[in-house]
Amino acid sequence: MLPAGKSGPNGPWFWCCLQVMIQILKDMGVTEYEPRVINQMLEFTYRYVTTIIEDAKIYATHAKKSSVDADDIKLAIQCRMDQSFTSPPPRDFLLEVARQKNQTPLPLIKPYTGPRLPPDRYCLTAPNYRLKSIQKKVSSSAGRITVPRLSVSAVSSRPATPTLAAFGFCPGHGSVTSAISLTPVLSVSSATASTPAVSNVLINPSLIGSKNILITTNMVSQNAGGDSLKRKHEEDDDYDAL
Amino acid sequence: MAAVQGGMVDAKDEADIKTEPASDGFGNNHANDSRLLSESPGSSAAAGNSKPAAGAPEDQQTLLAVLQFLRKNKLSESAEILRREAGLPEEVLDPKGADSAGSGLGGSADVDGGDASALLSRVTVPAPGGAKAPTKAGEDQPDVNVVLSAYSQQGDPALYQVYYNGLKKFIESVLDCHRAELSQVFYPLFVHMYLELVYNNHESEAKAFFERFSGDQECYYEDDLRILSGLTKKEHMRGNETLLDFRTSKFVLRISRDSYQLLKRHLQERQNNQIWNIIQEHLYIDIFDGMPRSKSQIDAMSGSLAGEAKREANKAKVYYGLLKEPEIELPLDDEDEEAENEEGKPKKKKPKKDSAGSKSKKQDPNAPSQTRIPLPELKDSDKLDKIMYMKESTKRIRLGPDNLPSICFYTFLNAYQGLTAVDVTDDSSLIAGGFADSTVRVWSVTPKKLRKVKTAADLNLIDKESDDVLERIMDDKTASESKCLYGHTGPVYGISFSPDRNYLLSSSEDGSVRLWSLLTFTCLVGYKGHNYPVWDTQFSPYGYYFVSGGHDRVARLWATDHHQPLRIFAGHLADVTCSRFHPNANYVATGSSDRAIRLWDVLTGNCVRILTGHKGPVHALAFSPNGKFLASGATDGRVLLWDIGHGLMVGELKGHTDTIYSLRFSRDGEILASGSMDNTVRLWDATKAFDDLETDDFTAATGHIHLQDNSQELLLGTYMTKSTPVIHLHFTRRNLLLAAGAYNP
Repeated sequence: MLPAGKSGPNGPWFWCCLQVMIQILKDMGVTEYEPRVINQMLEFTYRYVTTIIEDAKIYATHAKKSSVDADDIKLAIQCRMDQSFTSPPPRDFLLEVARQKNQTPLPLIKPYTGPRLPPDRYCLTAPNYRLKSIQKKVSSSAGRITVPRLSVSAVSSRPATPTLAAFGFCPGHGSVTSAISLTPVLSVSSATASTPAVSNVLINPSLIGSKNILITTNMVSQNAGGDSLKRKHEEDDDYDAL
Repeated sequence: MAAVQGGMVDAKDEADIKTEPASDGFGNNHANDSRLLSESPGSSAAAGNSKPAAGAPEDQQTLLAVLQFLRKNKLSESAEILRREAGLPEEVLDPKGADSAGSGLGGSADVDGGDASALLSRVTVPAPGGAKAPTKAGEDQPDVNVVLSAYSQQGDPALYQVYYNGLKKFIESVLDCHRAELSQVFYPLFVHMYLELVYNNHESEAKAFFERFSGDQECYYEDDLRILSGLTKKEHMRGNETLLDFRTSKFVLRISRDSYQLLKRHLQERQNNQIWNIIQEHLYIDIFDGMPRSKSQIDAMSGSLAGEAKREANKAKVYYGLLKEPEIELPLDDEDEEAENEEGKPKKKKPKKDSAGSKSKKQDPNAPSQTRIPLPELKDSDKLDKIMYMKESTKRIRLGPDNLPSICFYTFLNAYQGLTAVDVTDDSSLIAGGFADSTVRVWSVTPKKLRKVKTAADLNLIDKESDDVLERIMDDKTASESKCLYGHTGPVYGISFSPDRNYLLSSSEDGSVRLWSLLTFTCLVGYKGHNYPVWDTQFSPYGYYFVSGGHDRVARLWATDHHQPLRIFAGHLADVTCSRFHPNANYVATGSSDRAIRLWDVLTGNCVRILTGHKGPVHALAFSPNGKFLASGATDGRVLLWDIGHGLMVGELKGHTDTIYSLRFSRDGEILASGSMDNTVRLWDATKAFDDLETDDFTAATGHIHLQDNSQELLLGTYMTKSTPVIHLHFTRRNLLLAAGAYNP
């Protein structure tokens, strides 16, 4: 906050800053504002000025100067501007980019593709968690948790709802569990060929993009075919009308 | 300066030079100057050393100028050699002048010899804060001005005030009919001159210039001037993209030929070349033949940051017609008795009449072809929606001046000024609010609660073949009145439902636009393109495409299945605050902080219309349902009505006292509703406003508009809320008006 010693509502320096800030707001035409605004502006100013001066000190020491001078300050301001207070690109650049972008014709729309979403790596529909695979000696009928294939977490924003993972509970009769290939990230069993029938994990309903729901069972035993199970729901037209 | 005057003219006048400096008392420099001038010819006449034998003073002065130039550029050896050879005395005159003089001197050699001395004096004359600039140096020194303008674009900073004043006097003296038009020049000239002074580091002159002339400008430029007043150094300009754009783009003025001739003649005869140069470089004067415009006409159209629109900017053909509705086989219903094949615009009340709508089978010449832009085909669910739509539209109330809609107001309580965006679905079943705490909340307007789709495990267990599978997939355990969507990292400024109610878009200060699913209430995609706050976003009327506009001064067109934008609409000088699709989805209108509205063609990305006239940033846009007209609202409290086909302003609705944040036409276009920060909703008679339009060729060609001052007649009603600014308006399919706002005590 404000420097010690002269700070506090009794310090003359404080009141002076306050007056200056009020005057600045008035000059810029801001007539209505809450009283908190002044405090926030003062805090911001203090932080900004200290940052600049600290940077300038660093530059001055780097240049082996004994004291900070105007050039250091200028450099500090410039660097901060480029870093924190960037401004949008200049107009000619935008016009050029726009010209290039607008030259390509609008892409045709493929019919009947279900939810029209970008490729998976650009979507936020992948699970953002990873389950540890517990190596169990028993056969697959025990609940085996496999590692779902994780998509690249470049899209790292938090998903909207907590995902429900249906653990691979095997209701006793084999491992035909409800593996729903709704998700592009199908839980392919890890490449341990020794477990032919692996219960599949997942999947969270958050991955459902639309009403096109394909419910298939029996996806389990396809280790190798795991990848091909992705996106299979597009081909199912049963619920296309929805 | 007086010394210059003397030294410039003729060689024979040089004898007088010595006496002159004594009389004007301008300081030592002038004395120096004249002494130098007199000495050199003297020395040349006296001692014939190795100098050009002609000894013409012009050459002498050129030599002196060259010498100064060399010294200024620290070419001391060359300077010494030249001085020695030319036999010049060793006077070192400080170049106290502006930096511009340096660059100017470089070109001085090419100028008339007589000008060289002028240059010298320029170098030595201190550049005071303009106050000392002798007014007599202004108009009655044509030669000086020629010089000053000939070599540099910048001219003498001290003289800027003089030039401006001179122009002001001239314009005040012309005929009344021309005065209004020529007064348009003042503002752009003032700003450009001021910016030039700042750019070239003449801070004190800039301040003085500003103080003297800023009061003369039009009142609607007040905000801009306030920003300018805070800008006194070149560094301040660096981060301000809007001003840099203003500096590089041309301000457009529309002046009649007669007025233009007057101006041109004056500027060229009075040798005020500096102004002429600025005008040529920074202003674009669109000349038209015909009567000069009156002040009110000019005031109506001006106000934008880039002046008005050039006529050819508004000449492109715009297909403002609506797309043909597809044929939908309607089930024969007892209550409706609809025709089997229904084709035609959905606004028809009595379906029976559609059989006679064979004329609608012919292509509307103003409508774009169906395949102009690719649109998604209709799914069965969409067709069902359309049938519902048509059924509801038969029950629609016909509105008019004597049949005003009822208004149902949805007040958001406990929002603590955090409500930043609202949207309602087309069938008015859901309402969504975007908040400053970065959340988006969706409520159900009908008694039916919001439910999520079941989890994958449960979905497996249902019977897929049953008829009510759509109900079964919903999980009733999750039913609630509202759902909250988390994901943004900044206030949510724009919200839009998709027409099929499956998706919701939200745009935020964090620079991203998010697509949310309304079945699972989770986020599906984040579209990152703008790196700056995105102020508005909207789905197209047919779904699939959406447009977003933000702080980076562009609007982008996206499709839900492309992670990058398909079109970039660049051209505005300041932030794009509002972006709306045309009902036929082929055009996008954007309103901006530079107070202009642009209409963009989706197919090519070109700007096809520029509409100026607002005096404040544009915050609300609404297309009329027939696609022909556009209504816009801004911070100045006025609603302007535009004819898109011609690109002209056709109406002005005054009444609101504060920013207008929402505009909406009723379903058939008879009523325009506007909601504003002054806590009112106003209803205007749109049919009457568009009724008697006379857009003849003359009007279209010259852009002369005659606006009637009939706002009072068009105002049908004003409805006050209890300190709740109205930020969204929506007409239901039956023409009930819904309004939304946050209670702000």
